[in-house]
Amino acid sequence: MTSRRSLRTTVAAYIFLAPAILGLLFLTVLPIFGVAGISLTHWSGLEAPSWAGFDNFKTIFTSDMFFGPSVKATLFFAFGSVVFGTVYAFAVAMLLDQKVPARGLFRSIFFLPYIVPSIGTAVVWGWMYESNFGVFNYFLNLIGMDKVKWLGDDLTATPALVVMTIWGVGNFIVIFLAGLQGVPRTYLEAVEIDGGNAWHKFRHVTLPLMSPVIFFNVLMSVIANLQVFVPAYSITRGGPDNTTLYMVYLMFRESFQRNNFGLVAAYSLVFFTAVGALTALLFGFSKSWTFFEGE
Amino acid sequence: MKTHNRSNIAVTAAVIVLGFLSVFPFLWMLRSSLMSNLEIYQYPPLMLPKTPRFDNYVYALTAFPFGRYLLNTLTITIPSVFGVLLTSTMAAYAFARLDFPGRKPLFALVIASMLMPGAATIIPIFKGWTLLGLSNGYIPLIVPAFLGGGAFNIFLCRQFLMTIPRDLDEAAIIDGAGNIRVLFQVLLPLIKPVLISIGLFTFILYWNDVLGPLIYISRNEQNTISQALANFRAGYGTDYKSIMAACCMAVAPVVGLYLVGQRYFIEGIVLSGMKS
Repeated sequence: MTSRRSLRTTVAAYIFLAPAILGLLFLTVLPIFGVAGISLTHWSGLEAPSWAGFDNFKTIFTSDMFFGPSVKATLFFAFGSVVFGTVYAFAVAMLLDQKVPARGLFRSIFFLPYIVPSIGTAVVWGWMYESNFGVFNYFLNLIGMDKVKWLGDDLTATPALVVMTIWGVGNFIVIFLAGLQGVPRTYLEAVEIDGGNAWHKFRHVTLPLMSPVIFFNVLMSVIANLQVFVPAYSITRGGPDNTTLYMVYLMFRESFQRNNFGLVAAYSLVFFTAVGALTALLFGFSKSWTFFEGE
Repeated sequence: MKTHNRSNIAVTAAVIVLGFLSVFPFLWMLRSSLMSNLEIYQYPPLMLPKTPRFDNYVYALTAFPFGRYLLNTLTITIPSVFGVLLTSTMAAYAFARLDFPGRKPLFALVIASMLMPGAATIIPIFKGWTLLGLSNGYIPLIVPAFLGGGAFNIFLCRQFLMTIPRDLDEAAIIDGAGNIRVLFQVLLPLIKPVLISIGLFTFILYWNDVLGPLIYISRNEQNTISQALANFRAGYGTDYKSIMAACCMAVAPVVGLYLVGQRYFIEGIVLSGMKS
């Protein structure tokens, strides 16, 4: 620990950091101001923007036909994907943590969907959900149920896309599995000696020790799933009945396809603030249930 | 003991069932890509084609020139991976090894930017590139990789550097090495595992990106694989055998890469989750 502060070191440090600082400036800080600025204008992107004051925000919260349904759809999708995705990933990791043959192979099998191009996932699942010839409806028929218009029905469209998303949580499975393998066996054995059962072991050893990992995964999952885009863009186009009109898809559609840049900047700002608030809330809430050893 | 065995059998059975469900979409894609459309549109569905039709791929290639899209995708992906590795390592080195005024707030800013939803700033960034006259082409997709390589990668690399004892760089400094030599000759070989992981995940990220190419690439012959697959699906609505063949081609390279770099994928993921 002999590193001394010196002018030379400082200069070197800022040279090494120059690309990252430029990135922070041009890809994060300035764009946030840019979004705020553009949100106060009417701008088709073709001619010069004209001053709009808070018109865009007024529109969003009063007369916008798409904003409300989009918020609802996005929250519904993100909530389902985060909650069920986390539970599923944790459950699979718990299973793989037992004495299972060919664990490495299974780990690969569960991980692979995570790195499949999201368009590929959408195309394949779109085909499996197809209502006349799709394989899912065939399975339904096999157990004596009627066909369902998975992606064409406003009740099932988002849940169907949630299931598709859960298929791709292999990264969380791998993270959970690594975490579980770090849970000391002696703690689990101590519970056994005290006469505890599997539930006690889970509730009083595994869960508290895993809580920081769970928090990390939930946080990453919330941020990723609120920004869902590909399924809406490539399969449902926001339909049926705007039930899959997820925010990023709406932003893409209204800006690059319909040239309402001012309005979309306002969407972006509201979205950015909401995600920030939600993240802060998660952090605040986490203090009450995550457990760090040594605290 | 007996209940133990029984529970192990139940666990194994559950893993096998879930594992099958997890590979099923891959199998269904492959199966559909080898059928005729006549077979595809049968109900109840056939589980396997009567004779696998590999010429579906040949046919799909006429409308879906995979080679060109592959080249386009690599044109974006390879420089980006290089940029991410270079600039995130440089930043990580400064944060892990150098003491300078402003280090703490700057690092906090990097961490905070990790939580920012990237989708919120698409428009001003797009307008910026338009102002520079560069909004149509590969440049807006590649250049950001050279600007720090993403907060997450800086963080990951810094965490890894922190675990390496300083004795090595100090010995090199005494021998007269500067920061560039310390980083690129002494430390780089030692952090190879994390660099390979970052490289692989960056590759996948750029390979799979949809929104970026959609915004910045408008000419069909410049399309990336993901983008081309999306267009192909939209344009060939019911020709599912060809769509599935194209889809297999788009997915295969990623699966191949995983099989080659399995260890680094898993290690990278574990690292990202555990170092938090």
